[in-house]
Amino acid sequence: MEEKGQLRVGFDVGGTFTDGVLMQGRNVLSKAKSLTTQDVTGGIVEALDEVLTKSGANPAHVAMVSLGTTHTTNALIERRNLNQVGIFRLGAPATTAIPPLTGWPEDLKQAIGGSELVHIIRGGSEYDGRDIVPLDTKAIDDACRSMKGKVDSVAITGVFSPIINDHEERAAKIVRDVLGDDVHITLSHRIATISLLERENSTILNASVISVMQRAVKSLRSAVRERGIDAPLFIVQNDGSVMSADYAVDYPIFTVASGPAASVRGAVYLSGIEDGVVVDIGGTSTDVAYIVNGFPRESSITATIGGVKTNIRCPDLLSIALGGGTIIKHDGNDVSSLGPESVGYNLVRLGKSFGGPLLTVHDTAVALGKLQQKLDVFKTSYATHPDKIAAVPKPLINAAWAKIKTTIEEVIDKMKTTPEPVPAIFIGGGAMVVPKENIAGVSEVLSPDHFEVGGAVGTTIAEIGAYAEGVVDLDIDDRDEAIARVTEHAKDNAALAGAIRDTVEVIDVEEIPFTYMPGKREKIRIRVKGQVLR
Amino acid sequence: MNKPNLSARGILKDWGITNFRVIDKKAISEITLGASILATGGGGDPEIGLLWTYKVLDEGKEILMVDPMDVPDEIQTASTACLGAAIVLTEKPPSSDVLSLAMERLETYLGRKIQATIPLECGGVNSPVSYAAAGEMGVPVIDVDGMNRAFPELQMTSWVTHGMHSSPTVSVDNRKNVTVIDTGDDDVLAETLARRAAMAYGGISWIATYPLTGRQLKETSILNSQSIAWAIGRAVMHARQEHLDPIGELLKSLKEERNVEGFRVFRGKIIDINRDFGSETNKGFTLGTVTLDGIDSYKGQTATLNFQNEWLNLRVDGKVLCLPPDLIAILDSETGEPIRTDIMKYGYRGTVVLIPAHERMRTSRGIEMFGPRHFGYNLDYVPVEELNTNGGDD
Repeated sequence: MEEKGQLRVGFDVGGTFTDGVLMQGRNVLSKAKSLTTQDVTGGIVEALDEVLTKSGANPAHVAMVSLGTTHTTNALIERRNLNQVGIFRLGAPATTAIPPLTGWPEDLKQAIGGSELVHIIRGGSEYDGRDIVPLDTKAIDDACRSMKGKVDSVAITGVFSPIINDHEERAAKIVRDVLGDDVHITLSHRIATISLLERENSTILNASVISVMQRAVKSLRSAVRERGIDAPLFIVQNDGSVMSADYAVDYPIFTVASGPAASVRGAVYLSGIEDGVVVDIGGTSTDVAYIVNGFPRESSITATIGGVKTNIRCPDLLSIALGGGTIIKHDGNDVSSLGPESVGYNLVRLGKSFGGPLLTVHDTAVALGKLQQKLDVFKTSYATHPDKIAAVPKPLINAAWAKIKTTIEEVIDKMKTTPEPVPAIFIGGGAMVVPKENIAGVSEVLSPDHFEVGGAVGTTIAEIGAYAEGVVDLDIDDRDEAIARVTEHAKDNAALAGAIRDTVEVIDVEEIPFTYMPGKREKIRIRVKGQVLR
Repeated sequence: MNKPNLSARGILKDWGITNFRVIDKKAISEITLGASILATGGGGDPEIGLLWTYKVLDEGKEILMVDPMDVPDEIQTASTACLGAAIVLTEKPPSSDVLSLAMERLETYLGRKIQATIPLECGGVNSPVSYAAAGEMGVPVIDVDGMNRAFPELQMTSWVTHGMHSSPTVSVDNRKNVTVIDTGDDDVLAETLARRAAMAYGGISWIATYPLTGRQLKETSILNSQSIAWAIGRAVMHARQEHLDPIGELLKSLKEERNVEGFRVFRGKIIDINRDFGSETNKGFTLGTVTLDGIDSYKGQTATLNFQNEWLNLRVDGKVLCLPPDLIAILDSETGEPIRTDIMKYGYRGTVVLIPAHERMRTSRGIEMFGPRHFGYNLDYVPVEELNTNGGDD
């Protein structure tokens, strides 16, 4: 029998389905799939009721509720319910050649209040900590007065604030004094790293979705409380770890890659593999991620959110058009290509296994006897017309199967960083219809139980990730001391996001030199993780 | 700081030029992409220069480009550029008037009016920045530069190898601090001083340099280098839209525009980056070696490249395939986007393309100033065409 503190509930909100799981330790006690609703919250509540009912668990024993969500992404894409954002850049006389909101889609710009709310203030720092010019506090004060009643959220971005945050903090104090406690303030040094325009964009986007996240958290909290659950709420962030809901309200932009990141973490958790590749095979496409120390490797390419370039850290995913419904094009018994078209959810109408006209990846697996269980999603057997499958020439099936195998091998190889074989975790609805034996470059292929709700499982891993950065001059600073300093900062950030401070450990140290500059200056970036529960 | 009395059209009218090209947003994005590819792994992030140029165009300012051969011999031109740490630029973009100020002070020092800008190099930063500056100042851009690639130092130009000098150079910052550098014919010292000024300013400086007359620039520049970058950028963007092979289209455009063969010689992914601070501490450049493991038809082969901000040389399985000043680009195979030395990471995948340097970069003085031995390789320069007689994949 379970006790208080042993149960965790997790949800993964996808485009079509919302998955829910109730976990005890590593065991999945119950799982549910509901249709994702327009308001997102409705689908979550439905899945919550289902996992509670199915398991018969005592809601009072739930210690943690977590979710991977699309609330913020949807709001930004649809330009819905956004905050009115007062925008401060601390950087004049530098930076004026490119004012804030340059390059933004016009409708998004208008949805957050437009250019009238933009103020470029004299201030900011040089990389070595000197002021560019002293901060013009009077100008901030004046600007705040002019924005009274027009803004409910403020974004402040100072030049070199990831290194020296003093000007941003001082500006925030003035904003607080003039505009009061009800206005949300986002400071750029808490959002992203060096690269002013992308960090500023990230900061403004964050400021614009705070109320969206606030409302989502509020309604979810009351929904779980109504069901007798008295447990803290956590939201999955872009690295696949979680953060406390209160922290997520301040930093909603950290949830834009919540879904895919949760899937990767779920694969890690279910398989116990911490380094390797995760191959998430769906109906129309396959996403491949690389895991390092249990977390998805970060992409170094800028993430575009709602049409705006940001430097928010997101998982490095490689997608290819191969899924269970992918159409196999052939000329006689020769395969000319796999897709890129897919029959998608029309598999049950168009695939040969179901009496349809088209040969798909699913059908090859059926022909080779790889499927023995029914497909959850389709609520039907894996094949209703075995005669149709039997009529497909064996050489064509073999050629298609070989082609699927090399396609998967190539995409895995593209994500690898060493020639040595690594373990691969195959998850997703399509995982059962692709080759898993003798995959080149792979030491073993695992498809753990419950892989179809891997994302929801991934949200229940009670770990919090955080990072910090600093710039050092190795001619002056001691490298070890500098790393220790940045590490402490990263640990503080993890604690702020909800981790127990003394459980926080370093997972990655990265050093990036400054080019075109004399001396040994470099940026140090340290990632840490810590535990939510003892 | 802008001079509203000047306009690029007015200047061209004075020169009697009726044939020029209007640079719009599409044009500058194509030129910048092409220049980033020719920047051979260096040249910095194009974003800031592009957004600045877009803003200049949005303000209704015109940017016009003319052919060097149409430019009168006696007019005064100068190059405009950003010099300093790329990472500082991404954090601290300029004010709109920095390059106008540098040009103005150079005019004062020279006692002559400057009537056109000439880009210094092909690079993500310095290519669009020259156009933005021309738009801000109301002067035309001339279709030349000093490298048709990027190089780490100010003196590494066809101008210097053909007897011109970067002095006098004016270096300014956002706070309107001004440094005049006049080292006569010592171009290496000018580079050292310019870099020190950039450091003292906070990592980035804005310079007006290489004051050249119309006649001098015709005789010593890489002619039509902007058109070359433009053609390459246009070809790659076209390939993206039409889902063609961007690298094949790039090589075709190179053949059409310059009548030279480029070489597609390797495809792989980065498996090791070894950045070396050690001996070059005071030179101010990132040196290192990157290793790529072959993929697809190159499986089993290993490519190594040395870099000093830009890619310098390429070896595949120990065999030298490219030496400076010939160009190396590592391009994303699907998009043709260049992979830069400052942002490359483990696992990046790309195709290695080699391009012969322009003839004016290959003179004996050029090989001495920026050939293999200058960068510390005990190797004689051999042109990339001779190192790749089998012609690569194309």
